Amino acid sequence: MRKRINWALAFTLMLLGGFLFVRGDLITTAAGQPGLQAAQKSAAGSPLFFANPAANPADEACRLCHVDTEAIVAFPSGETLPARVDPALVDASAHGIGEQPLGCTSCHDGNRYRQPHEGIEAESIRDYQIQVSAACTRCHNQPHVTSHENLPGGETVLCTDCHGAHEVAQVDHWPAAEVTATCLACHEAGDRGRLELITAGGLFTHPVGENYCLACHSQPGPEILFADGETLSVYVNPDHLRTSVHGENNDWGEITCRNCHDQGTYPHEAIEAASPREYTLNQYQACAQCHDHNYDQALDSVHGAALEEGKLESAVCTDCHGSHNVQPPNVPRSRVSQTCRTCHSTIYDNYATSVHGDALLTQDNPDVPNCIDCHGVHTIDDPTTNLFRIRSPQLCGSCHANSALMEQYDISTQVFDTYVADFHGTTVTLFDHLDPNVETNKAVCYDCHGVHDIKAPDDPQSGIKLNLLATCQKCHPDATANFPDAWTSHFEPSLEHNPLVYLVDLFYAIVIPATVISLGFLVSTDIYRRVRTRISGRKGSES
Amino acid sequence: MSQKPEAYPRFRLGARIEHAILMISFTVLAVTGLPQKYAAAGWAEWTIALFGGIEMIRIIHRVAAFVLTVGSVYHLFTSAYRSLVKRERMQMIPTRKDLDDLIATVRHNLGFQPHPPRMAKFNFGEKFEYWAVVWGTAIMALTGFVLWNPLAIARILPGSIIPAAKAAHGGEAVLAVAAILIWHLYSVLIKDVNPSMFTGKMSRRQMEEEHALELERLDRGESPWPELELEVLQRRRVLFAIGSVLIGGIALAFVIWAITFEETAITTIPRATIEAFSPLLTPAP
Repeated sequence: MRKRINWALAFTLMLLGGFLFVRGDLITTAAGQPGLQAAQKSAAGSPLFFANPAANPADEACRLCHVDTEAIVAFPSGETLPARVDPALVDASAHGIGEQPLGCTSCHDGNRYRQPHEGIEAESIRDYQIQVSAACTRCHNQPHVTSHENLPGGETVLCTDCHGAHEVAQVDHWPAAEVTATCLACHEAGDRGRLELITAGGLFTHPVGENYCLACHSQPGPEILFADGETLSVYVNPDHLRTSVHGENNDWGEITCRNCHDQGTYPHEAIEAASPREYTLNQYQACAQCHDHNYDQALDSVHGAALEEGKLESAVCTDCHGSHNVQPPNVPRSRVSQTCRTCHSTIYDNYATSVHGDALLTQDNPDVPNCIDCHGVHTIDDPTTNLFRIRSPQLCGSCHANSALMEQYDISTQVFDTYVADFHGTTVTLFDHLDPNVETNKAVCYDCHGVHDIKAPDDPQSGIKLNLLATCQKCHPDATANFPDAWTSHFEPSLEHNPLVYLVDLFYAIVIPATVISLGFLVSTDIYRRVRTRISGRKGSES
Repeated sequence: MSQKPEAYPRFRLGARIEHAILMISFTVLAVTGLPQKYAAAGWAEWTIALFGGIEMIRIIHRVAAFVLTVGSVYHLFTSAYRSLVKRERMQMIPTRKDLDDLIATVRHNLGFQPHPPRMAKFNFGEKFEYWAVVWGTAIMALTGFVLWNPLAIARILPGSIIPAAKAAHGGEAVLAVAAILIWHLYSVLIKDVNPSMFTGKMSRRQMEEEHALELERLDRGESPWPELELEVLQRRRVLFAIGSVLIGGIALAFVIWAITFEETAITTIPRATIEAFSPLLTPAP
């Protein structure tokens, strides 16, 4: 094997010799350059480079062989390494771009460029990497390599382990995702103990920014393992962050990770929460920093109360709005109901079949109520209270008594007034005014029309008109076939609708004034006589 | 001419008791009923609150209705007793003379004739009131029964009777209260304070003015009420007692049946329990 390499190198050297004869100027020109004396500075201000002690730009000669070869280097350990080097990688690398590219011999021992090369002393690839990567320190002061020395097991992480060798990229051009992937190549998810040990000395000292956090957190995979055995992915989609309402286009300025998260630098402080839910419940309180009003309202809501009772699954800000991907909650309007669906799926399914839900979900109707139009947004009241029940007709009436709104759909706005005028509605209205927290079994709108599955009254399958008797029997179990006619069906009495009521009303509309006028006439004639008699009697006594 | 008494007997104790029952129950019914008809008005709410809320005022209204109904049944019995046992002339039956008296009264009031008409024990105005009460009570009892027992009514009659009964109950109530306020209260309190329904006696002056014929009759020494021989009376009483116990028992049973016909018109639906928390297995899009 070695013999074959030697022959190849001998051949290459011949070519190189011929080449140098022609282009000997290359060597002197490159050597005459000022090298990397003009020290570059790192972002943090500390010198990143020392002067390059061994720039030897014999690249052309090296490339003659190493660019296009099938040769391999065999180590005593039995490992092999291709001798081929991709020149494009080198040229595009941090060391290849710019005005002063490094040459091969900047790292590879300068006197070895002559062919035949001296034998490689390394026992294995790793040995070889250790030897060669020592060259990095010729230029770099290696600001963080200390934390990678003398790892448990005696290993040392080399510069090239993370940065690569020929393809080394400038830090600024090194995508955060790739950096993290590099780390994760060794530091597998879950292997926290080792990672913390390794990084105990402080891996990074850069100011913390989005990219700093995203360097790790944009990597799918890593999870937090909580005491209860559950895990939580720490992945954050950078696109979500950027396009969320807190992102770049936010009028108040972009919200950064640190605005909500305390864990600023790596390594993070241990998370106290024992479960992912507990972590969420701690973390969502950050919303109150800016949204204190809504936050307080939510605390007073049915969700806040349930949380207070210990129902930890009760919705908090982030459950509805999302955490990293916060989008306008009501665009489109159906998004609201979809959000509620996350926890209230059976109710949602009911609602979706209703006349309101169908219009919202299939036609994006702007007028029908979605969940929050009836239940409120952050001040979501308990809908099972007596108060909610007694106030519910007003809730329905807020749309159904609005003639401008109902006109578009040819729906009568008499429904509310006729309800209030009837026995059920009168009682409920009185309760509302006098004792709104009393329990009442008097029918409210939703007792007859349904709660979430409200259908159009003339719905051919399950409209209330088809099932009126069954509807009555829910409260009046002894009701018989005639009984539903006792209900005036939200019509003002007329000859067409409820003619009997209309005629009775008409009768009294005539009889009452007629009686009052007649009796009033009799009374006034009597008064007239008495006044007249009194005056004439006085006159009589005076005369 | 002998000394004429200052006051004349007008109402027996039984009639005064009947009136008291009617007066109290009617007032309670009006005060507890009208706020229900005009529930949207502020005064109505105030009144309802005063009586302890809508449920309580409905109970009071029904208790008063029961009292009024029992009083009405009692009136039917005393009327029957008086016409069957005592064979009294039914003085409340309107006659042609009542119409003439009405016209004469108006003419007198307007100054077209010098003297008021000479009227019997019950004048046209009192007969009007009596029959108005009979009519009104009948309407209110019937429609009230319908409202009290809507399910039973709908079993035998069209359901549309029920809202019509509600309309009639309210309309008749207004009519009755208006008649009482305008006519009755004017006649017995404003025009002239007439306490005869409480004292049982009427002053000579008032008798002269409104019941000249009755005054004449009493002055002739006739009894205010027909008197029978005790033997005849007792025989008839036995018959009446048997009849009245039978009929009275049936009537009382009917009243009790009427007010307890339906144990409850409505049943409270047991609260439906919906599992509000039903998270999706996979988050919604």
